[in-house]
Amino acid sequence: MGSALICASLVGLIILTLIGQTGPVLSGHFSSLWGTVWNPNTDQYGIIPMLYGSIIVMLIAMAIALPLGVLTAIYIAETRSARLRGIMKSALEVLAGIPSIVYGLIGVAYVSVWVAKGLDLQTGRLILTAGIILAVMILPTILTLTEDAISNVPEIYRENARALGLYRHEVIKDVVLPHAKRDILAAALLALGRALGETMAVMLVIGSLDRLPSPLFNLLSSGQTITSKLGREIGESAFGSAHFSALVLMGLILVLITLALTAAAQWLIHRAPREAAHV
Amino acid sequence: MFSRAAKEHVFAAATRIALFISIGILAFLLGAIILRGLSALSLDFLFTPSRSFGSSGGIAYQILGSLLTAITAGLIATPVALGASVYRSEYMTSQRARRIFDLMLYGLNGVPSIIFGLFGLILFVNIIGTGLSWFVGGIILAVMMLPTATLATVNAMRGIEKNYRENALALGLTREQTALRIIIPQSLHGLVTGVLIGLARAIGETAPIMFIATAFSGATVPTSLHEPVATLPTHILALAQQAADPAALKNAWGASFTLIALVALFSLAAFFARARLSPYSRR
Repeated sequence: MGSALICASLVGLIILTLIGQTGPVLSGHFSSLWGTVWNPNTDQYGIIPMLYGSIIVMLIAMAIALPLGVLTAIYIAETRSARLRGIMKSALEVLAGIPSIVYGLIGVAYVSVWVAKGLDLQTGRLILTAGIILAVMILPTILTLTEDAISNVPEIYRENARALGLYRHEVIKDVVLPHAKRDILAAALLALGRALGETMAVMLVIGSLDRLPSPLFNLLSSGQTITSKLGREIGESAFGSAHFSALVLMGLILVLITLALTAAAQWLIHRAPREAAHV
Repeated sequence: MFSRAAKEHVFAAATRIALFISIGILAFLLGAIILRGLSALSLDFLFTPSRSFGSSGGIAYQILGSLLTAITAGLIATPVALGASVYRSEYMTSQRARRIFDLMLYGLNGVPSIIFGLFGLILFVNIIGTGLSWFVGGIILAVMMLPTATLATVNAMRGIEKNYRENALALGLTREQTALRIIIPQSLHGLVTGVLIGLARAIGETAPIMFIATAFSGATVPTSLHEPVATLPTHILALAQQAADPAALKNAWGASFTLIALVALFSLAAFFARARLSPYSRR
């Protein structure tokens, strides 16, 4: 049946379609690609600011969401309250269904206003704001998957560790977390992929400035990510131009990174099951 | 050095604080959307077309456009997902081929949504030359929801008990008959649920359709396949960019609430479909 072939070949088709459009910028303006200046009027297509923006926003989001998600998951899983777990799970499912454009609206209407007021800045559309919104968006993913991972650690491990006189935090740190490590890592990779690919919310709050922040770690400057760049400029660039092909090239880089993250997460999940428990 | 007991208290406090922050975020998000959304909502808002770039008037055509593209996507994705999963579970014999097939689907699932938009723009709008078209938007959304629908169906097929297949073989059914009479009816709930969950995701997507299927203002009921439509997500995007205008912002909240209601509708339908359509043997 052809449909299976369609399904399996779509990823390849997407990548080929993108590669097909990268020609103009690769042949004509290759040297400018690795620069830090983006200015289509002077044929300069430096993608470094966007790459940097994507990575830094992703790092901020992970730095907030990972500890918050894992600690919350520990609380929910270790208190063993079925009621709390049920309530949180259904609330998270609702949150996961909220479209990203609505997160963008919340970012515009609340978070960027708070950041601007709280830090006394003229605009709240900053790299930091985008990171915060992204953190909120990936929190459900991290929280649900981590909570599953921790709940799946067999009870007998905890009982043995408690019997040895370990405190609860020691049980978690030395027994539960090492056991759930691989699944938590897979959850983090999936969340990373989502954070990198997220467009609408980031695009609305990041301020769209195609320059590296100065100094480099100034999170309170406006920035640009690959996705926000694509969202803003695809409509303005002419099909087949060097400008368009530079944008497509960035899209291609993004796809390859997210595919690698997905493959790594799948590999972690499906790797040979752990050796039998020595109890 | 802190004593172990002190560390225990610090740790307990940290997890508790994390829980409160997480609950705070959840409550804030839901509260903001519901309160701001409900205050902007009225029957009038839902059933009148928008005026002056959305800052006044309602969202009638946006709702129509969103439903149109999403349902088109569902109609395209359903047969492909069904065919692919029947092929995977009945005709694909090597484990290796199955793993590659699954990996491709997970890969497709992980592709960022804006890339689908870019892909559609290049392949359909420019190379095939369709121009802005709601139908192309439907195709692209179908591609996006394909992994969800297919994986759900494949999982349902995997759950079919072995003796069903053995009985079919013993009765001398051909592979085709087995697929049509046993496998598909026994996994229908997976397909329907998967498609509905896919629809819930697809209807909220902005990035895949914003370059290829939508116009920000002026689109009404399409009369041919080659016309753009207005949709709720792109409407919210346009309004969010004029957030300084309180009227636009209010309408953006109203449109967001409506959009989430549609998402919830599809999710609830998926929930009930799973309960109702599961075969008796697995209830």
